[in-house]
Amino acid sequence: MVRPRLAIATALARSASWASRLLGNNGETLPGRILLRIEPEAIALLARGKKVILVSGTNGKTSTTKAVAKIVRQLGEVATSGSGSNLSWGAANALMAKAPYAVLEIDELHLSHIIAETDPAIVLLLNLTRDQLHRMHEVKRVADRWHAECTEATDTLFVADIDDPFLNYAIANAKKVLKVSFGGRTHPDGAVCPKCGSYLHWDEEKYSCTCGLTNNSTDQPVRLCEKGSAAFRNATLANIVGEVLGAKPLAFTDGELERTVTKTFGSKIAHFRLTKNPASWTEALKAKHFTDVILVLNAREVDGIDTSWLWDVSFISLAGKRVIVCGERGIDLAYRLHVEGIESQLVETFAAAILLTKDNEVSVLTAYTAFFELVM
Amino acid sequence: MLEIVRIHNELLGTYGDRGNAEVLKYRAALSGIESRISDISYLDPLPTQADIYLLGGAEDAAQLLSLSALKRDGELTQAVEKGAVLLAVCAGFQIIGRTYTSGDEEIEGLGLLDVVTNPGSRRLVGEIVIDCELFNFQLTGFENHSGVTTLGKEVTPFGTVVRGNGNGINGVDGAMNGNIFGTYLHGPVLARNPEFADLLLERAIGSKISYGEDALANRYASWHRNTGKND
Repeated sequence: MVRPRLAIATALARSASWASRLLGNNGETLPGRILLRIEPEAIALLARGKKVILVSGTNGKTSTTKAVAKIVRQLGEVATSGSGSNLSWGAANALMAKAPYAVLEIDELHLSHIIAETDPAIVLLLNLTRDQLHRMHEVKRVADRWHAECTEATDTLFVADIDDPFLNYAIANAKKVLKVSFGGRTHPDGAVCPKCGSYLHWDEEKYSCTCGLTNNSTDQPVRLCEKGSAAFRNATLANIVGEVLGAKPLAFTDGELERTVTKTFGSKIAHFRLTKNPASWTEALKAKHFTDVILVLNAREVDGIDTSWLWDVSFISLAGKRVIVCGERGIDLAYRLHVEGIESQLVETFAAAILLTKDNEVSVLTAYTAFFELVM
Repeated sequence: MLEIVRIHNELLGTYGDRGNAEVLKYRAALSGIESRISDISYLDPLPTQADIYLLGGAEDAAQLLSLSALKRDGELTQAVEKGAVLLAVCAGFQIIGRTYTSGDEEIEGLGLLDVVTNPGSRRLVGEIVIDCELFNFQLTGFENHSGVTTLGKEVTPFGTVVRGNGNGINGVDGAMNGNIFGTYLHGPVLARNPEFADLLLERAIGSKISYGEDALANRYASWHRNTGKND
């Protein structure tokens, strides 16, 4: 049954979406806001009758959500948020679509209430590391919230990569879990057990705590998967979700799961990659790059307004490259590189930076807001 | 060889403070001083003969673990009694004080600085600028904490807060006594304030150093000082 207020709200939100697109926006934020203003329970109401799958984590949310949606689409229509709009209004907007399935990317701090509102069939948790600390404050704070909600949501299946101790803790008391391990990996913030606060003992890439928190597969039922890059792990996790729902696995290229975009600027071909926190920078710097590398750093709200984390990333793999730095906080990055022994050219804008490149193909590693401005 | 010890970075590395050690080493080299960084983990004993010790910011459980190791071993106390330089930031600042509060519990600190930290009513997050009259320079940084730190008679504040909150009381940030310095400034603080790094090096060596020129460091420091005033 459709509530009259919801019907009016949906109609208004749809017109707003159309108007917003006309103005050149992605058309996902404004309609969701209108919808929730008129019908605060819109998310719960629109989720009814849909099989809801939520995807959250620090890195890889948007691309993994796309992958899960693609897999689930084999089973039926999917309501989904495509552009990384992952707060309440993004979810509300996506849920307006009539479909038997909904696959939604959800911001870490919004996950708890979206779980409560949508009663999801599956929640996929990818990873939890430092990001936007001015907003998240502490990784443990986010993990505590997840732990509470995962314990509460007894009908939901939680699929989580337990090589991340924060995720293992988050689902520790959940009723339905599917634990996945890729044979272990180190965690940049994993020195303390998130469950009991003891010093967490790591043996290479495996951890085990006296309180019982471990990613050892001998101690618990775990789906063991091959080791691989973050992109590989996320593709595997997406297919595991698909498998639970009865969908056939699909193959994905690393590019599909890396937030990489190629764009031409005059005669230059620029390969963009989104990098936004120590974990995603470290992952991106492991990849092969062209001789010309442009790094773009902003520090607006969604980028994280504190740039101190730059010192937790080693940029040494860029030694010997022609490095050009730009963006609103390019100076923070240029000085960080300088102290690591990497001299860069510092300019204000990307337009100026691309003029300084010498080869035809250029690698661009860019902060969140700059990524959207340059490639979207 | 000047020895810089980065204490428990796996625990006290949440807010990028590991960079303080790298900046010290870089500034020392500019002034012709050879130095090395030792990373001492929670499981390792702390050397007592080093010149500069660094503590950084951390989450609550990590802060407690680090403090327990420092209390257990007592080496940091021995080192500063011998005159070593200590820079402690945020959680590190709190644990070298007399007491701080974690959850509902009052925790006894190392007592190296005469300060007491109580929980504040809100989290203090954002850019911070302080005028440091004593050393005649301005310090900029980023703060992210909820502690309110009250200074006792034995310590002097680092400076007057021009923007942001600092200690969260009396309009000042930080505390110092002799060669022991505590502050809430991340950034890391020594990257954004090269004069402060040089001051710590001079304290460690015990004499004036001949400053090496670093145009980018100066440009970076003034960029933040100018932005801090304006926005």
